[in-house]
Amino acid sequence: MPELMDPSMPSGLNLVWLVLLLPLAGFLFQAAFGKAIERAFGKSTGRRILGFMAVLPIAAAFVIGCILVSHIANQPENARVAISTWFDWINLQSIHIPFELRVDPLSLTMVLIITGIGALIHLYATGYMADDKDYPRFFTYLNLFIAFMLMLVLGNNLALVFIGWEGVGLCSYLLIGFWYEDIENAKAANKAFIVNRIGDWGMALGMFLIAVVFASSQTLLGGETRYLSFDVILPLAQQVVGEWGGAVVWAIPLLLFIGAVGKSAQFPLYLWLPDAMAGPTPVSALIHAATMVTAGVYLVTRCHVFFEMSAFAMGTVAVIGCFTAIFAATIAWGQYDIKKVLAYSTVSQLGFMFLACGVGAFSTGMFHVTTHAFFKALLFLGAGAVIYAMAHNQDLRNYGGLRKYMKITYGSMLMGWLAICGIPIWAGFWSKDDILGKVFASNEYWHSQGWAINPVILWAIGLATAVLTAAYMTRMFWLTFFSGEERWRNLPEPAHVHHHAQHHEHDDHHDHGHDEHGFFIEYVDEHEDGQDHDHHDLGPSHEPNEVKPAMWFPLVVLAVLSTFGGLILSGGYPVTEVFGAHTTNLFKEWNAVSAQPTVLPAKEMFKVSHSTEAVLILLSIAAGLLGILWNRARYKKGIPQNEDTKLRRLAGSQWGYDNAMVKTFVDIGGKFSDAFYKIFDKGVIDTLFVNGIPWVVASTGKLIRKTQSGFVRAYAMAILIGALAIASYIFYSISR
Amino acid sequence: MNTLAQTTTQGMGLLSLMIFIPLIGAAILALIPREYASWHRYLALVCSVVTLIASISVWYFFSGNTYHFQFVESIPWIKSWGITYKLGIDGISLWLVLLTTFITVIAIWFSFYVKERAKDFMISVLVLETAMLGVFCALDLILFYVFFEATLIPMYILILVWGGKNRQYASAKFFLYTFLGSIFMLVAIVAIRNMAGTFDLILLQDLASRGELAVGNVQLLLFAAFALAFAVKVPMFPVHTWLPDAHTEAPTAGSIILAAVMLKMGAYGFLRFCLPLFPEATVQAAPFMMGLAVVGIIYGAIMAAVQTDWKRLVAYSSVSHLGFVMLGIFALNHNGITGGVLQSINHGISTGALFLMVGMIYERTHSRLFKDYSGLKRQMPMFAMLFLIIMLSSVGLPSMNGFIGEFLAMLGAFQAGFEGAVPLWMPIAAGAGVVLAAVYLLWMYQKVFYGPNDKPAIKRLRDIKPWEQASVWLLVVFIFWAGLYPTFFTQKMEASINAVRHQTLLPPGERPTWANKEIDINRNGDIVEALERDGDDLGSWTQGRVLVQNSHYRQKEEMKAVASR
Repeated sequence: MPELMDPSMPSGLNLVWLVLLLPLAGFLFQAAFGKAIERAFGKSTGRRILGFMAVLPIAAAFVIGCILVSHIANQPENARVAISTWFDWINLQSIHIPFELRVDPLSLTMVLIITGIGALIHLYATGYMADDKDYPRFFTYLNLFIAFMLMLVLGNNLALVFIGWEGVGLCSYLLIGFWYEDIENAKAANKAFIVNRIGDWGMALGMFLIAVVFASSQTLLGGETRYLSFDVILPLAQQVVGEWGGAVVWAIPLLLFIGAVGKSAQFPLYLWLPDAMAGPTPVSALIHAATMVTAGVYLVTRCHVFFEMSAFAMGTVAVIGCFTAIFAATIAWGQYDIKKVLAYSTVSQLGFMFLACGVGAFSTGMFHVTTHAFFKALLFLGAGAVIYAMAHNQDLRNYGGLRKYMKITYGSMLMGWLAICGIPIWAGFWSKDDILGKVFASNEYWHSQGWAINPVILWAIGLATAVLTAAYMTRMFWLTFFSGEERWRNLPEPAHVHHHAQHHEHDDHHDHGHDEHGFFIEYVDEHEDGQDHDHHDLGPSHEPNEVKPAMWFPLVVLAVLSTFGGLILSGGYPVTEVFGAHTTNLFKEWNAVSAQPTVLPAKEMFKVSHSTEAVLILLSIAAGLLGILWNRARYKKGIPQNEDTKLRRLAGSQWGYDNAMVKTFVDIGGKFSDAFYKIFDKGVIDTLFVNGIPWVVASTGKLIRKTQSGFVRAYAMAILIGALAIASYIFYSISR
Repeated sequence: MNTLAQTTTQGMGLLSLMIFIPLIGAAILALIPREYASWHRYLALVCSVVTLIASISVWYFFSGNTYHFQFVESIPWIKSWGITYKLGIDGISLWLVLLTTFITVIAIWFSFYVKERAKDFMISVLVLETAMLGVFCALDLILFYVFFEATLIPMYILILVWGGKNRQYASAKFFLYTFLGSIFMLVAIVAIRNMAGTFDLILLQDLASRGELAVGNVQLLLFAAFALAFAVKVPMFPVHTWLPDAHTEAPTAGSIILAAVMLKMGAYGFLRFCLPLFPEATVQAAPFMMGLAVVGIIYGAIMAAVQTDWKRLVAYSSVSHLGFVMLGIFALNHNGITGGVLQSINHGISTGALFLMVGMIYERTHSRLFKDYSGLKRQMPMFAMLFLIIMLSSVGLPSMNGFIGEFLAMLGAFQAGFEGAVPLWMPIAAGAGVVLAAVYLLWMYQKVFYGPNDKPAIKRLRDIKPWEQASVWLLVVFIFWAGLYPTFFTQKMEASINAVRHQTLLPPGERPTWANKEIDINRNGDIVEALERDGDDLGSWTQGRVLVQNSHYRQKEEMKAVASR
């Protein structure tokens, strides 16, 4: 029995509970007192208090996370895992699932990303949402999200991960539908939850399979019934699953991967993520770019030993990731909505992460999770600032020349843009280049394992994706900040339009007197008017301004991280290696204990010569530059004439995929279900059998005796008695 | 009460007291003139609260360390026919009793709305409570049958008198449908009496434990007769069509009780009678029953998704959710049966709460159609928030109660599939029900609460009042309690669940019997012979000699051996 609970671990690690409970307390505080504080202190002071109280627990959790990291980092590598158990959640004779948290480098990496970036985005949101009528509700959901996300990464068993997994899905649902008065937003929220549930279905089945496989190997487990706890299953996985053999070996990772595909928006379940942009932009940055959508990568990395045992499962992960990367990149190239460009770009980048995991470079995948969190959060928040300055208009065709008006936003987004394009020294370069290098390097190994597609092909597709990524990001960046003309000035002066139907008509008639239940139910006599804040639109007279400090400060911090974060964390790897210099790859060493492959020969499989490495690096830089130069030239003078081509429109419509899915499952499925209800449930079962039998009896009765009581019930009674007689006879004859 | 006390083996007739408090209350209510409407209300509430307290004291004195029936009381009733008035509860019925008393309090609390013939309404609910408690406590087949059918009458009256527009049809359908089902059970009961000479469940199970009750096709036929009665009650596909009509037309309190408690009488019947008395037939029928459960899960969910009527949607969701109960029970393993029982309780709370909240809004708008609602969240934020929690518990969000039962039931079903007892596609397909649950419940929430607040009828509504909130908060507390600490519920349940499983799966002769008090089941699920006792109670045994070793899972070596054969 591998005993990883080391009693000599510093007791300070129990602080981990505080990391989880602080955001939860924040959530409860906002939920319970949010509205009251807003009322008691007035809107502006009240919101300042609430905003502070929303950021505080997340920032505090970040500080505690840092303390935990310093505790753990002092330990020798194999002692960097600790488990803290609180109480029994499900404790049956047949399965034991305690409430237990796991502190190890992988979970702490995620904790720092979630709380660090989370605190910044909370701060940003205090500015972005300042005028929203549901300010407290927003932070209630946002704090709850952080709590669930921490549950997801800290849980020491799959069931606790599943609490977080579905919990973040819930918060995502609530936040996408935050402006629910527009029914389209509510529908987008539903889509996100339901598509995610399909993934959860796979993950749940994976959990069940793991539980029964381990439970049926009691000789190896020696009486342990925590069949889902990582400290039990991960060390024993090779032995238990290996001895089972057969379909179990690939079924476990693939079922878990279905969950990851749903949560991390991979093909074919990515459909929900573009629609999720209906939520407020801080939500898109936090949930749909930096944290929640990377949960799938976390799950694969956490359970990597299960994946490693099956070359087929690894291949599936790599191919799905690679295909999603290029597929989403082409779609992003066809978008005009600034948030949609970023959404598809996120899908594409997540594909890169899975590609890395699929070839066995889990640590590199997690590294891309980290750098992507920096620059994608930055890009989303920057886009939010632009949207905010442009009166909530999100169409790239209405922007242009904004760098003059929003200098800080422009400057920080510049860093994010360079990072995602993969230009050295910015963060994205280090992780993306490392991924592509690892894919290329693993060619020989996976070829020998019988993959149908050679990693070299995946590498080539990845490189093409890098070109495309740089291209569409440049397109977005130029159309927003450069391209000469200020296109919103060409728009006609807008008529006064309401975005959301927020105005209530005064309802004069109240009929208390007529209501028989008036004693119990009061009706509203008068209505507070919906606080419709000035929705001005773009037009010739619009003047964009730089956003307030609460919003640009996080941008600057993230810009610094996007610029230097990758270099510092990777220590210059793999560039330094080419030059023969030996620097510490901080990230890789830190994560080694949880992300290092255990089954695969990690040391041998990624072997590649220095000269090849150098060529690979140059190629990936070239890919970024190519994309930039191509689209800079194209959009230098505004939108070219041939912009709206058929091909772009087709790509922009997700190559028709979303439409086909909606047609099949929503339209046809809905019609079929409706018809099924009317014909089968109401028709066949209910009318034919349930009501039909009494009717037959009644009619026969009429023919025979012409009785007059038209009550169906009387005839039904006759059947009852008849049935009773027949049954009695049968039982009488058998029991004699 | 004296005679009862003398014949009870323990517990001083507490069960009888608990069962008949509501009936006595109903009798007192009947004596109070109609004019004192609030007297009726408060007295009924007091009665139900006292019953709840009685049931909590039963829970308090109940020992989870034994699978035997506790608080047993027995007095001859009709001697010449061998019918006894015999009561007792074990770890399964205990929770259903608590569910009944708890839900009745909520239902009566909420029925303060009822203006028309409030006195008769309260009397009906109280009589119904007595009958339901009787069902869960009866240990004599005839006594059980009497209580089982007695529940029909007050519910029939509730639907017929206080129901919606189509109440005549719905009440007749409800009565006849369920009555037709259980009539076969009555015949089977009589047949059993002819074969075994007794109606006493404990004696009958003792026979069954030695394989002497009924064998072969006779057993299968008896099983079928019982199963039909219970399947209609659950309801399982395809005998479910009484439920949408009954639920939709019933008054709110009726819907709550119907969904929360009366459907569970079917699931309980399977566990209490079908499994222990007809073990071979159960094992034989299990794949078929699980297949029906899976069809019911998906079918009910799809039907729910196309409804335009709020209450009808919730009614069809019950068909789907109860499918999980049956799925778990017929998985015939510890995970599955525990999940089935937990799902019974949790569905009672969640769906009861859904009906409660739909009732609250119906009292205000008198419409159940989705097209009459839009943007209710802006209008009634507190109501929307509470409804969201309830809805999510019904969706089965982990950390809420709905998840626990579904999770364990599906785990059990998956285990049964993995071990080869049923086809593996069944638990996999059942998982689709969880996806579909999100589909129909989120659509429901969207249609009612989201969108612009532009319907004149709801624009003048105020949020729900504190006393209404309080009844929902009570349920919300339970939802998180059961979701975060289900161990509290399973502690006093596991021994009985082991017993039912062993009674079904072990070969004749090894099956634990309720008649032999020296045999018990330990914390591993092993059958033991109690050697040392720490008092007189059944649950007081401390040391035991293992008679039959238990394994909750078939081991790999065994499965591989079977596969290679």
